[in-house]
Amino acid sequence: MAEKEKEFTLWYDEIDGKDYPIVGKKNANLGEMIKACIPVSPGFVITIYANDQYLILSGIKAELEKQLNTMGQVTYETTKEASKIAIKLIEKATLPAVIEDDILSKYLKLCERFGVSECPVAVRSSGAVSMPGQMETYLNVCGEKDLIDYIKKCWSSAYNVEAIMYRMNKGIPFLFNIGIGIPKMVNSRVSGIIFTINPINGDPSKISIDVSYGLGEAVVSGLVTPDTYLIDKVTLDLIKTTIGSKETMCVYREKGSDIVQKDVPDDKKKALCLSMEEVKELARVGKLIENYYGKAYDIEFGIDTELPFPENIIILQVRPESVWSKKEAAPKTEKKKDAMDRMLGQLLAGVKVK
Amino acid sequence: MAKKFMDPHDVPKIPGTEGWERMYPYQYQFSKEDPERAAFESKQFWFYDGLHYPIPHYPFDLIWDEAWSMTLSQYTTRHWLVPPALGIDHRIVNGYVYISPVDVADPKEIEKRVPIFTERAGYYFQNWDRLVENWKKKMTKVINDLEAMNFTDLPEMEDISVIKEGLGKGSGYEFLRKWDAIIDLGLLCWQYHFEFLNLCYAVQVTFFATLNQIFPGIPQSSMVKMSAGFDPILFKPDAELIRLAKLAIELGIENLILKPLKADELMKELGKDSKGKEWLKELEIARYPWFHISTGTGWFHTETSWNDNLNIPFENIRTNIKALKSGKKLGRPTDQILKERDRVATEYRNLIKTDADREAFDQGLGLARLVLPYAEDHNFYVEHWFHTLFWAKLRQVGKILKRAGFFEDADDMWYLKRDEIKAALWDYITGWTTGVKSRGPSYWPKEVAWRKGVYEKFKAWSPPSALGTPPDVVVEPFSIALWGVNTNVVKSWLSGGEGGSADELQGNPGSSGVAEGRARVLKTVDQLADLQEGEILVATTTSPSWAPCFVKIAGAVTDVGGPMCHAAIVCREYGLPTVVGTGKGTQFIKTGDLIRIDGDTGKVNILKRAKV
Repeated sequence: MAEKEKEFTLWYDEIDGKDYPIVGKKNANLGEMIKACIPVSPGFVITIYANDQYLILSGIKAELEKQLNTMGQVTYETTKEASKIAIKLIEKATLPAVIEDDILSKYLKLCERFGVSECPVAVRSSGAVSMPGQMETYLNVCGEKDLIDYIKKCWSSAYNVEAIMYRMNKGIPFLFNIGIGIPKMVNSRVSGIIFTINPINGDPSKISIDVSYGLGEAVVSGLVTPDTYLIDKVTLDLIKTTIGSKETMCVYREKGSDIVQKDVPDDKKKALCLSMEEVKELARVGKLIENYYGKAYDIEFGIDTELPFPENIIILQVRPESVWSKKEAAPKTEKKKDAMDRMLGQLLAGVKVK
Repeated sequence: MAKKFMDPHDVPKIPGTEGWERMYPYQYQFSKEDPERAAFESKQFWFYDGLHYPIPHYPFDLIWDEAWSMTLSQYTTRHWLVPPALGIDHRIVNGYVYISPVDVADPKEIEKRVPIFTERAGYYFQNWDRLVENWKKKMTKVINDLEAMNFTDLPEMEDISVIKEGLGKGSGYEFLRKWDAIIDLGLLCWQYHFEFLNLCYAVQVTFFATLNQIFPGIPQSSMVKMSAGFDPILFKPDAELIRLAKLAIELGIENLILKPLKADELMKELGKDSKGKEWLKELEIARYPWFHISTGTGWFHTETSWNDNLNIPFENIRTNIKALKSGKKLGRPTDQILKERDRVATEYRNLIKTDADREAFDQGLGLARLVLPYAEDHNFYVEHWFHTLFWAKLRQVGKILKRAGFFEDADDMWYLKRDEIKAALWDYITGWTTGVKSRGPSYWPKEVAWRKGVYEKFKAWSPPSALGTPPDVVVEPFSIALWGVNTNVVKSWLSGGEGGSADELQGNPGSSGVAEGRARVLKTVDQLADLQEGEILVATTTSPSWAPCFVKIAGAVTDVGGPMCHAAIVCREYGLPTVVGTGKGTQFIKTGDLIRIDGDTGKVNILKRAKV
């Protein structure tokens, strides 16, 4: 542990769930998933220590303390001012060479691995304390210069007005170092959501997959009617397929982090967007995740355009299923005194034909 | 979509078959003579039993239909008193058998039957293993009695021993007695066939319904996987052929066996060699009883057994030797199948959230595992071992009557009802006792020629899937579990061909997976030879003894079948995508059509019609 704490960067597969104080929760979760053989997008993390050292070595910390001291205690009224000062300092300072070299050497290795010169990556904030949605994540970042700029932007996003206020409410200090995750961008041919139960009726013996073309945004925010697959969780046999209309798809704007919508060609609308082997592999991974965490999960995935099967299947985000898991399970069968009694009941009921 | 099927009295007659009714028992006819019976027939739901009968009935072969008509119903109605169900009624239309489950109409009557059923079925469940052991003994005795029976031509004169031992009875009488005895053995065999089966199906229906309550929409394949026996007897014959192939390689005589010789010539060759003799000894051990497996379903006289035609098992042994030599693994990994069965059951059980449901699951699974081995194994004793021997013995009678001039061909006998054969034998025997010419030779050939014509017209006719009025609920366990009658099936039968999609057919999932290929529609077992590698078999039903074809095909589609039907179980064993219970698959699909079948959803799509 001692060595990890002094690293600026670590590969995802070097960390696990216990490392969240060093790399932040989101990063630690990803490391944990790799340990569990869950396929996630490859990449590396920038440690909380790196953020701390940046502030110390570049003199930001001292400067910030000086400026804030002149303002006195940061209050609700002064957050806006404090936020401006912090963001400006963090974004304008130069990253010390020791840290920058370390980050860029890992970035180049990632580029090499995928055989591209400016591998598109995401820059994801990852706090050691959960602060849902308070800090920024930047997508589709390409090249060394942009990478460093966006890392600084990501650090500075911990000083958004909302983030500062959130911390104030929770009694967390003003100065707040975060971890950052740098996963390779998934260039999704298709993407969607796996539920490790049947979301319609809570049946725990099914896995449900909703999937459509392009980035996950289309399925997650309900822009399209996706294809749906219902799979038996025990045997992984496909039970039911429904073809969705899939009118539109989301893609990244060329070299930009924003998303644009475009029409799905007619012939692709009518076709199922997963192959049988992809369905089975997604179901297998869904089951793996549920078994690993010991409860039903809601899982975002993408299927990469460039990678071959099965490496193309990439899990983007996982969270515990929140609807059925909270309900108390009621028995679905009638109470019978013994097997004979049960049989009698069934014989009398018969099977509906109409 | 229509709400009813055609009224059974309105089925059109096929021109040129007028008078066909006399080929079958009179009580099998739909008739309007008695208004009460006619009204009953119209309000009942009749479905074509294509599961057992892919072809129209030869008059004699109806014996097994009559046998099960009597026995299945007898156990439901008079032995167990299954509370809501009576038996299954039978009719015949243009040579095709239609069956109809009959319910107990009066709710008070149902109530009265409950305690009686509980006591009687309860006794069998409590003493199951002992009773099954006893069943095997009874069944083996029936088969041994049958084995000992032979029919020979009547002698010119009685043997001197008949005089000297003072027997006081003759060969003609013995012949008739033996005829009655063999028919009686057949009926007895079918009495035993159903001794446990109604209870097996009641258990199956209960277990499946319980699983569906806990896990809505659970696939049939999963339910069978959890409860099925892992080493059913029906796989023994194949296992014996693999054993013999391995032994041949061990003994170093595989090249001799690989020679393309007829079975009898090969056995002569093997007899000349000490290693060969050793192998032949093992062959004999395997033959009794395991080669008493039918090349068909066992239901028809046209089918033979491996023992009737040793060329078939020899050909399979050659295939096995070649496969083994090329390093292939043969045989069923029973350990793995057992492990998989237990894994599936345990995983489902672990997913159950409440104690109440877990208890229901355990109750269902416990009973299912108790009864399943019988449900799977009885078939070998009855339809294979007994039936193939029975057909072989009866062929002796056909040959005798041919020699006596009654028939032009020994196989003409099957165009007679069994009572007519008895009558013909009387004619033959009294002619012999009197020393005069019988009437048969001038009577039967003409009648048989006409019946053959009728039979061919029946064959060309496609029987509708169902007749009469579908009910709201089916309570009869066989109809649910064996024939797979449910909402989807009835809906698809109602829409089949009319108003349904022109290139899609909905059946039941039989065995997981998707297959694409050319369809081969087989109406009879002897067309099996037409099957090409990679084709999708389309048949009214399939049977486990079609074994050689399963290694060739890419998948299978059947008209009729439920979760317990032989086809579904065997196709899962072979890992072949299969759709069962499509209702009209053999009519809808033509040989040469490019089709896609989905064994998970039960859909069959015609991708491209064959050029006509």
